[in-house]
Amino acid sequence: MTGIGATHIDHIVISSNNSEVVAETFRRNLGIEIRRTMSRPGTGARLAFAKLGDVILEFAGPPEPDPAAEVKARLWGMVLAVADIAAAVERLRGLGYDVTDPRPAVQPGALIATVKSGTGGVPFALIQYNAIPHESPAGAAP
Amino acid sequence: MKAKRIDHVGIVVKNLEEATATYARNFGLTVDPARGGEVPALGIKNAFMPIGESDLEFIQPLTDQGPVAQFAKERGEGQFLLSIEVDDVAAAVEHLRSLGFRVGDPNNGVAFVSPKSSHGVNLQLIQRQGR
Repeated sequence: MTGIGATHIDHIVISSNNSEVVAETFRRNLGIEIRRTMSRPGTGARLAFAKLGDVILEFAGPPEPDPAAEVKARLWGMVLAVADIAAAVERLRGLGYDVTDPRPAVQPGALIATVKSGTGGVPFALIQYNAIPHESPAGAAP
Repeated sequence: MKAKRIDHVGIVVKNLEEATATYARNFGLTVDPARGGEVPALGIKNAFMPIGESDLEFIQPLTDQGPVAQFAKERGEGQFLLSIEVDDVAAAVEHLRSLGFRVGDPNNGVAFVSPKSSHGVNLQLIQRQGR
């Protein structure tokens, strides 16, 4: 348990111009199982998720990648799991951080808040699971 | 090859002491005193802050040469490297090379994958003993 109640790295986001190709590269060559693919509601961004230990790798890319373009990816951001997102947001705001209000995450029942400053150049967010009531549809994990 | 776990995430920073102090004071992480320090061969100094079953590795370039310095020059601070634990780093390197990946020779249980083979993502393979 840490000062903001962070328990582990929840997500590492790998952003690219073609998330399907990058996820397939990791699956085929590194033996990382892709557990879920989806389009992000609202933006249509193509997402693929894998899990290694307690960390989710999120491959994110545009809705309609250019199949002719050279595929380029980069480590983009990180999400820490916290036990109490409201308390964590309040603590960070009290320290002068610019943090969004918690909002529903892609993960059912989870809330996420983005830390918009002071993280050493790393896009950074907090997530709390089981924060809001939800049903668990088949195939929803992670 | 089977990837087991995210061992650590490497984050390039301009000032190691300031970065780790910020993450300690504001996020509650703690520097592992048993690891880290200056690595002259790589032109860096680093510190590890455990979180869950992984670590954040903060890396400050000490020279203007090498991949860390190049990253800092081009992008400033940010996530630099993803370290993935494997059972057998030598076998993993052999496997990836057979697939056409450019991978450095293992050294002390660590091997680096050329980002040209992974769409630009810096990957490190690491073999932990007794974990």
